[in-house]
Amino acid sequence: MKIAILSGKGGTGKTTLSVNLFSFLNKGTLIDTDVEEPNGHLFLKGELIKEESVLKKYPHVNDDLCTYCGKCGDFCNFNAIIPAKKKVLVFQDLYHDCGGCSLVCPTNAITYQDKEVGKIYYTQVSKNKLFLYGNLTVGEVSGVKIIEALKEKTENEELLIIDSPPGTSCSTVSAIDGADYCIICAEATPFGLSDMKMVVELLRAENQNFGVVVNKSNLGNDEIYHYLEEEHIELLEKIKFDREFARIMAQGELLINHSEYFKEKMANIARKVLGESYDQ
Amino acid sequence: MINEIVIISGKGGTGKTSITASIIPFFENLVLADCDVDAPDLNILIKGEIVEERDFIGFQRPVIDYDKCTYCGKCYHSCNFNAIREDIVINTSACEGCKVCEYVCPVNAITMHDAVIGKIYHRKTIFGPMIDARLNPGEESSGKLVAEVRKLARDVAYKENRDTIIIDGSPGIACNVISAITGVSKAIIVTEPTISGLHDLKKVVHLVKMFSVEAKVIINKYDLSLEKAEEIKNYLSLMEIEVVLELPFDLAVVNSISNLQIPSTTDIAFFSTKEWFDFIEYLRN
Repeated sequence: MKIAILSGKGGTGKTTLSVNLFSFLNKGTLIDTDVEEPNGHLFLKGELIKEESVLKKYPHVNDDLCTYCGKCGDFCNFNAIIPAKKKVLVFQDLYHDCGGCSLVCPTNAITYQDKEVGKIYYTQVSKNKLFLYGNLTVGEVSGVKIIEALKEKTENEELLIIDSPPGTSCSTVSAIDGADYCIICAEATPFGLSDMKMVVELLRAENQNFGVVVNKSNLGNDEIYHYLEEEHIELLEKIKFDREFARIMAQGELLINHSEYFKEKMANIARKVLGESYDQ
Repeated sequence: MINEIVIISGKGGTGKTSITASIIPFFENLVLADCDVDAPDLNILIKGEIVEERDFIGFQRPVIDYDKCTYCGKCYHSCNFNAIREDIVINTSACEGCKVCEYVCPVNAITMHDAVIGKIYHRKTIFGPMIDARLNPGEESSGKLVAEVRKLARDVAYKENRDTIIIDGSPGIACNVISAITGVSKAIIVTEPTISGLHDLKKVVHLVKMFSVEAKVIINKYDLSLEKAEEIKNYLSLMEIEVVLELPFDLAVVNSISNLQIPSTTDIAFFSTKEWFDFIEYLRN
């Protein structure tokens, strides 16, 4: 069973929900795919057992073979390779790794070199529980390769929870790809509702099964509940905002260790989404 | 020169849009740009009317002519993005438009066609013109769409002789954020006093330094953890970045947003303090 937790709007509580739900379960694997700003590791203090580089390729032009014909530059849709009169300029950050330039080069002057775009970290949280997260290097333009690496390393996990990045762009699609069920973590504010609608549109287009957890349910208004009813979307749980919760999370502590209320909420979500088998 | 101010955060949900909206009524001659193209919320409070709406073509995508296709599999094997399945069907959301498939196809069964990846809106608001956009769910190239929004905002500013552009950015540090901050006059980073807020702030500070953008920080909801707020201030003083404002957590802010009102136009006391006006003054100059 693979469960993705996502939100559209940032700061609704994706990571709070992910790390607490994961900690509530007695086994499983969690991956933090918000590689631009990963936070799960701040709450799950496991033992770091391995780290791996995630690489992307960029073209290298052999000046001895290059005839400055300009075909690579003409082909490239990303302005990543620009042939000047006596030098071919390569812009590593713009390179998309499509392989087109070497394909069109008539003299085989283009080969590829590797560049690190970020890392993935493996953490053993407890005997049956593994946590992996990725971190995109500052200045790199896309975390998709790191997300794909995280997904690939965990594709055979029996129980996988995926903490997704905010938004509805390509990185989110890549994070939720292959999930059996998605939990939208929403807020009852007009911003939360508007962003959630975009997520619903995305999940429907991807034919995903999903339900909604409304976090900070006492902040905002009732519109979100009307929307869920009209759209026949399952409301999995409502979790209230409490200054004490905010204070505990601010310190990097897990709420299930401090609040029976919160623990009960996690139990309900686990029961609804996973069935009795994973209940503690 | 146009004063371009961007509001970003690293971490999502720290209050970027609420603060952006609160700044806006204090400027007289501005253009608004919502660059959070996969969660555009500024207009919910600003309530602008659409004057013009147009498709944004991000790149070209392949279309397969199955009458010509021989299912040789060359396109499938050549695609580095897993955007063509083994049964020669295109997975649109994975395609980056490189046209390698078109190039390798031996029977010219693949042609490239314009792909609409989002919509751009030109709005009229009571505060001035606004440009915002919406990326179609699942699309990439949000960096390109952000660049287009900024370009259109600058065009309007020049045409109408407006001196300020206020840009609402998106969370994260990738292409869409890089695109929103390059070449701006000032960046305001909105953070919150949590372990996640501090962690994410560090990455976004690294980013603004890398792109040589002048940045100052707002600690929003600072009283939710005075201890973490202190930690953030210590970190920023090491980085020689000024904390320009500390805002308390106030339910009245949440309520004003729930009522679709800009927080600074309600009777919340903070927005008539000297600190707030000093901050606005800083943004103006």
